[in-house]
Amino acid sequence: MTSEKSIKGMGGKQPNHNDEMMLSMLRDILLREDREDIAEIRDALDDPDRLAEKITPIIEFHLETMKRKFPREYQKQVDRIVERKLKASQDELLDVVYPVMGKMVRKYVNHQFVSLKEGLDERMRSLFSAQGLKNRLKAMVFGVNEGDLLLGELEETKIEEVFLIERDSGILLGHYSLTETIDRDVVAGMLTAIKSFVEDAFSKERQDLEMIEYGTYKIYVQSFHQYYAAIILNGAITASYKDKLSKRLLDFAEAEMQNISLDGEFETNEQKLSARLADYFKE
Amino acid sequence: MISKKVILTGNFGVGKTSLFNRFVYDRFSDKYLTTIGVKVNKKVTHVDGEEVSILLWDIAGEVSQDKVPVSYFLGAAGIIYVFDLTRPLTYENMDRDIEHLRQLLPDSVIKIVGNKEDLLGSEDEIQQILSGLNHECNLTTSAKTGRNVEELFQELGKDLLERA
Repeated sequence: MTSEKSIKGMGGKQPNHNDEMMLSMLRDILLREDREDIAEIRDALDDPDRLAEKITPIIEFHLETMKRKFPREYQKQVDRIVERKLKASQDELLDVVYPVMGKMVRKYVNHQFVSLKEGLDERMRSLFSAQGLKNRLKAMVFGVNEGDLLLGELEETKIEEVFLIERDSGILLGHYSLTETIDRDVVAGMLTAIKSFVEDAFSKERQDLEMIEYGTYKIYVQSFHQYYAAIILNGAITASYKDKLSKRLLDFAEAEMQNISLDGEFETNEQKLSARLADYFKE
Repeated sequence: MISKKVILTGNFGVGKTSLFNRFVYDRFSDKYLTTIGVKVNKKVTHVDGEEVSILLWDIAGEVSQDKVPVSYFLGAAGIIYVFDLTRPLTYENMDRDIEHLRQLLPDSVIKIVGNKEDLLGSEDEIQQILSGLNHECNLTTSAKTGRNVEELFQELGKDLLERA
C-alpha cells in the first residue's frame, strides 16, 4: 500500500532508478507464490508422465460415468440410427445373411438326417444284413426312390451350364457353360419369366421354384434374395448330390457375391462372376 | 455395355408383338405368349458409342392389375406402352394404365407409342387423335412399314443410359 501511495504521489514525474527497484521488489514479494505455482504447472504440463498422472484419474472417472450413463442417455438415439441403417440396407443385409443362414439350416438338416440314419442303422442291423438292403436303407434315409438311387450310382451327373441371374429383371449376372450356347441373356430372361409364372401361379405363400425337368436334363434352381442360380444338369440327381450342389452355391455366394453391386455395371460383374463360376463348377 | 429390362405392354391387339419381331433377336416361338403370357427378346442398340442391351419382355394381353403377374414387371428399367391409333378402346384407359405402371415402377422410363399409323389417312388425322390424349405420345409407329421403330429404341436407349 505504501509503495502504491508513493507511486501515485509521484504525479506526472518519470520514475527514477530507486522507484523501479522498489517496484521490482514489490512485484517479487507479491507474485512469488503465483510465479512458483505457474512454474510448477508448466513443469507438469511439459512432463508427459506427470501430466498423465494428473489427468488419467479424471478421464477414467468421466469414462466410467459415461459408460454407466450411456445406455440411459443415448440408447434411443442409437436404436434409431441402427434401425434407420438396417432399413436402408435391407437388401445388402439379406445378401450377407442368406448364405450364412443357408449353411446353418443345411447343417441342421444334415444333422437330423445323420441322426435318423443312425437310428435306422441300429434298428435294422439285427433284422437285415445283406448288402442289397444297403441301397434300400439309403433310399429311406435320403427320401429317394430306390431305383433312382441305383441309377444315380450307375450314371454320373454332369453340370452342363450355370446361370447366375438377377431375380426381378432376369438380367444375366454370370454364366458358365461346357459348350457355346444360344443367346444366354434371352435364356436367362425366359428362365426368369417361367420361374415368375410358376411362383405367381402356384405359390400360396412365398416359395421358390426349385427344379425343372426335361428328359435326362434337369434345371436345379436355388434362390437368394436379389439373385438366383440355375444349374443345368445331365444325369440322375440324388438328395445327397443336390445337397453338395447347394453347399457349393452357398460357398460361392458367401465368397463371391458379398461385394458385388447389382446396380447397373452388369457387364463388368458378368465377366468376373463368369470366371469365378467356372472355378467353382468346372468338373 | 449395360443391360436393362424393358416391358412391352398395352391392350390386346395393338400390335406389340408384330411391331418388334422384325427388329429384335427373336429366339423363342410366340407360343410362349399364350402359355405363360410373356416372351423375352433382346435388342442391342448403340447410343453415343455405347452399347445398350435391351431385354424386351413382351407381355401378352393387357395392362391389367389382376390378369398379369406383377413379377413380370419387377426390375424393369423401361416401359413401352403401345396403343392402336385406329381403336379408341385401346387408349381410353391410358390414364389408369399409366398410373398403374407408375405405381409399380416409379423410377422407370415410360415411352408411349401409337401404333398402326399406316392405317390412318393423313398426318392431320394422327395429330387430331394425339391432341385428345391426356399423355404425351412419344412416337407414332407402323409395324407394317417399320417406321420409327429403330428411333424408339434409340430414344429409349438414350434415356436408359442417362438414368444408369
